[in-house]
Amino acid sequence: MWGKRISRRSDGAPLVVFALVAFILVAFGDVAQAQDASTWRDIETKYIFGFTTGSGIGLEGEREFTVESIGRFGKRDGRYRATETKYEFEFTPSQFIQIEFGALGSSHSISGVTDLDDRRQLAFSGAFAELRYLAIERTSTNPLAVTLSVEPTVRRIDETSGERVRNFEFETKINADIELLKNRLFAGFNLLYEPEITRTLDGARLRESKVGGSTALSLRIASNVVIGGEIWYLRHYDSIGLSNFTGDAVMAGPTLYVQFTPKMFMTAAWNTQVYGREVGNPASLNLAEFQRQRAKLKFAVEF
Amino acid sequence: MFIIRTLSKLATFAFAAWGLAVLVPAAHAQQATEVQVTYSNGQFQPSDLKAPADKPLALRVKNLDTKAMEFESKSLRVEKVVAAKSEGVLNIRALKPGRYEFYDDFNEKARGALNVQ
Repeated sequence: MWGKRISRRSDGAPLVVFALVAFILVAFGDVAQAQDASTWRDIETKYIFGFTTGSGIGLEGEREFTVESIGRFGKRDGRYRATETKYEFEFTPSQFIQIEFGALGSSHSISGVTDLDDRRQLAFSGAFAELRYLAIERTSTNPLAVTLSVEPTVRRIDETSGERVRNFEFETKINADIELLKNRLFAGFNLLYEPEITRTLDGARLRESKVGGSTALSLRIASNVVIGGEIWYLRHYDSIGLSNFTGDAVMAGPTLYVQFTPKMFMTAAWNTQVYGREVGNPASLNLAEFQRQRAKLKFAVEF
Repeated sequence: MFIIRTLSKLATFAFAAWGLAVLVPAAHAQQATEVQVTYSNGQFQPSDLKAPADKPLALRVKNLDTKAMEFESKSLRVEKVVAAKSEGVLNIRALKPGRYEFYDDFNEKARGALNVQ
């Protein structure tokens, strides 16, 4: 019964998410629309760009609990839905460093996808930690801020297939953003290098890596609501040293950030693959390493 | 077993990062310049503070009101709850010249700025 319901809505989940956030936008956006932007408080930029991460590292002494789900939908054939959820604690011990760590949960609903076993499962899938260092800070005379981050992650469940594995990933990122209009318009940029090693149950050891970059633009339309769009270019290699290129993809889509109260916010993003290629496959889009669509939904509470 | 081992490695990473965050600034500590602001009747007094550039600051916040307030600033990257009829000190890094806004997170109307020159 549950399975039938899922299959009918297989690629509609992002639409449901955005219907929800559109409602929130209307419900909470009007409250602040009449305000003058010059009276708005400064905004934390870390989460206003969707999948692109801003430079913000929080406030010294601040602690935050967040739940962040990333869904990936659609392969070349069959039905493919996978999510990974981070249950995350983050804190800022100094005015330059932020630390995060937490557990990962995953879900996979796969049926009839070439090269993947059919699967329907929920699992505790691993753990992660992240260190962020603010290298260049924004001031009233310098609109640019840059943060460097490293995020080691261990998984017992493969992100794509849902199989039992031992996976070690070491994501490194440069997160930059620039305030184009005071309190109103922000541009974000990410550079990503993500090597990983996976050992399968039959003892095979696989090395791969992903590199890429993104650009995002976000407009604060009310003191508590930011909307925007982003575009990602990602390349995949079957090595950690950027040899054995296997394909690339361009993902693009809208972003939303809503601050419910001074201590609680949500962010959402939805990316669709608009271009992609697989080495050795003339078909359009890269659906071997990437997905047709991905969505992100995050809720956070500061305390 | 795998998860326990890897969780302990990640915890070690987070602990080492925390140690780095705490110890590195301490190793470079300079004499801080003290700046004081009073919070009374839901307002900062003075609301425009001045401080020297490139010197660490000790910002003393005296809350004279009968309710707690939370001094917060995104640009200074600090926050601190100050109980009613008490005071708190925020240690702030050496700042570049500019204007750094602050506010009471419990009171939308209470705002001020630190002008660093």
